[in-house]
Amino acid sequence: MDLAPVLDGFTVVLEPTNLLYCLIGVVIGMLVGVLPGLGPAATIAILLPLTIGIDTVTAIIMLAGIFYGAQYGGTITSVLLRLPGEASTVVTVFDGYALARQGKAGTALGIAAIGSFVGGTISIVALSFVAPLVAGFALDFGPPEYTALALLGILLVSTISSGDRIKALVAAAAGLLLATVGRDSFTGAERFTFDNLNLADGLDFVPIAMGLFGLGEILHALEERHHAVRAPATVSNVWPSRKDLRQSSGAIGRGSVLGFFLGILPGGGATLSSLAAYSMEKRRSKTPERFGKGAVEGVAAPESANNAAATSSFIPLLTLGIPANATMAVIFGALLIQGVTPGPRLVEDDPELFWGVVNSMYIGNILLLIMSIPLVGLFVRILRVRATVLAPITVMITLIGVYTVRNSVFDIGLVIVFGALGYLMKKLGFDPGPLVLAFVLGSLLESNLRRSLLIFEGDPTGFLTRPISGTLLAVFLLVVLGPLLSRLLARRRATSDRPAKEPV
Amino acid sequence: MTVLVGFVPTPEARAALDAGIAEAARRGEGVLVLNSSRGGAPVSVEVADEDTLRDITARAERAGVAVEVRQVTREGEVADEVLRVAREVDASVIVIGLRKRSPVGKLLMGSSAQRILLDADRPVLAVKP
Amino acid sequence: MSSAPGGAQRPTGPGGPPAAGTGPADLVERLHDDPTVADADDLAAELSAEERPEPAGPVANVVIALVVVCLGVATVVGSFGQNVGSASAPAGGTWPFLIGVVLTGLGLALLPLARRTADAEKFTRASLLVVAGVATMVGFVATIGVIGFEIPATALVFVWLRFLGRESWRLSIALSLAVVVAFYLIFVVALSVPIPHLF
Repeated sequence: MDLAPVLDGFTVVLEPTNLLYCLIGVVIGMLVGVLPGLGPAATIAILLPLTIGIDTVTAIIMLAGIFYGAQYGGTITSVLLRLPGEASTVVTVFDGYALARQGKAGTALGIAAIGSFVGGTISIVALSFVAPLVAGFALDFGPPEYTALALLGILLVSTISSGDRIKALVAAAAGLLLATVGRDSFTGAERFTFDNLNLADGLDFVPIAMGLFGLGEILHALEERHHAVRAPATVSNVWPSRKDLRQSSGAIGRGSVLGFFLGILPGGGATLSSLAAYSMEKRRSKTPERFGKGAVEGVAAPESANNAAATSSFIPLLTLGIPANATMAVIFGALLIQGVTPGPRLVEDDPELFWGVVNSMYIGNILLLIMSIPLVGLFVRILRVRATVLAPITVMITLIGVYTVRNSVFDIGLVIVFGALGYLMKKLGFDPGPLVLAFVLGSLLESNLRRSLLIFEGDPTGFLTRPISGTLLAVFLLVVLGPLLSRLLARRRATSDRPAKEPV
Repeated sequence: MTVLVGFVPTPEARAALDAGIAEAARRGEGVLVLNSSRGGAPVSVEVADEDTLRDITARAERAGVAVEVRQVTREGEVADEVLRVAREVDASVIVIGLRKRSPVGKLLMGSSAQRILLDADRPVLAVKP
Repeated sequence: MSSAPGGAQRPTGPGGPPAAGTGPADLVERLHDDPTVADADDLAAELSAEERPEPAGPVANVVIALVVVCLGVATVVGSFGQNVGSASAPAGGTWPFLIGVVLTGLGLALLPLARRTADAEKFTRASLLVVAGVATMVGFVATIGVIGFEIPATALVFVWLRFLGRESWRLSIALSLAVVVAFYLIFVVALSVPIPHLF
């Protein structure tokens, strides 16, 4: 493997500006993970205007830091307050909070920090080897392969999304539809612009992301009635014992590997990995009854897994140009704003960007480990700030921030429209994530589909003649038809059972 | 009839608690300790933790006074909540702690104690530590 | 209340020890051997104990499904307005046509499930807060071009704090002024963003 670009990447990372933005990203990430409400996707969306003025590498370093930093922040509240800050830290509540109640909150936090660090680092190393391979393999992709890949990515994210599957697909279709607004790149004709000049160039990604994720979430939260408030927690002994470390070392290793592989899959990523790692640890333990009562493995495994997964979920984006989840979709949009089109060529054509971002994760993980314990007290203090105070401030940041993108008041109107849409979607059970994902992939998908059809001269079965696109489409059909088939089989089994159960 | 004590984990309120328990003992009534915290954030300094709650019940038991502790989350101001509960249980007296405030503090932050004193429809016992 | 001395009641309510059945060990039991992401989300929502409105009824679900169907049909119609083309000669309307067909199909697929789905929420009085929130934002964008951003922004933050958040008058006034001043200093003075401003 050619090491030169990797080492160059470190030079990029160690530039003071990049180090600073890495620090900023990681701190904001931890903050976002601690505070309930906005998650990393929404925060990155709201901060998109900030990325416009700065260098691409710097911007992505910061955004990446926000994402994996949030995995750690969520742990703090899980352990201290039994309140998971992120869905990926739900499992940490079980043993983490139990440890806190035994007065060993520091142990839990320390193990979580170490596990997160190891998980993230192992994942980065693996990424460094796997990513160039995948990118190299994908260089041979043609329009049919891209079509199949984009379709599969959208489908996987929709099926693993946290809402109704069909509704998630509706959201994705709506995203594809929104992507068609504007001028058709092939023919130049205007589509769905309703003669509005502002729509002639298509809908801008930033107001859509900021509105759907940012304003939508804030509006949705207005309807909540707040319940349990907790007393401030204190953390005393802040380091795990050597025995704890030895006990959890296996869990950390296994969780990291599991997290790395599950994170690459579009969909659940960090959350799925934390669940799977916890289940695996519990199943292979000789004393599973300790889980839920303060087993350090119960904290180490999910924490290593979720950080490993957060890191590896960058692989599809950086090597294939396919975002694996909503947050990656927003980062995809951030890259587009900077004029970078993610895809297999990224590793070769822009190694500074690729390796700069990847290597920044090492630094980010180190920063997280160093800062996590000292900052805990600060974060618990910040948790006292009421949502009713944070909300209008975030709204103003969003409204004025979106203006700064194109100096356009129309964009402010647009972000409000999408904020209302985001609220309605969440209210009615539609996950906005697939919409954003499909939107960013929309024009790519369409142009590749049209080119493919031209290649195959209108015969869609042509997709199946090429090995890669054929396989991808087969997987696509499996994912679509799988649940239907299993339901049919279950029903048939039920009807064949019935005669045997009839009383004679 | 009960003695209502408005409680938060501060020295002033602890003094109010002791005074309230003593008052309840004197009147032969029970004491209702109201720990009302502002909702909307995951953490609030107004919430009494388990140790404090145990301490409250212990103090009441030592004085031979029946005690009920209520922890509620509220949306609005504490004065309204205290007065509402006072009406609900028909408290014989409301016991609150008073904090010394600088003139600037009084201007910027107002005083829930003042509102309770002025708006209450029953006796109020204001206690300083 | 003059119960016998020593008759203390157990402290209840938030912040105290978890109610029976929700201790960490019990949670572990509930999260069975093959939990899904949806399970984790549900558990997270439960632990955060934020109360959300009830699920909407089947009528609402049918309406939602029909809206999706209408959107799909409208898209198909719209695609005919452009050149729909064909598989061998795709044109501007081909892709919208495909999307419209998929949308209509998905909407129809939602109809039979209308009775069983429980993920949509009812509109309650709390939803009026959302309407008010959106109204403040609309007011902001409508007036910003005429009178600059300072006054609409102060008004928006004030309304959100005082009326939507039920904060005290003092905090609402003080914070709304502080926020707008901060934004002025950051965006107008420091960053020279050409946002319409009065002062």
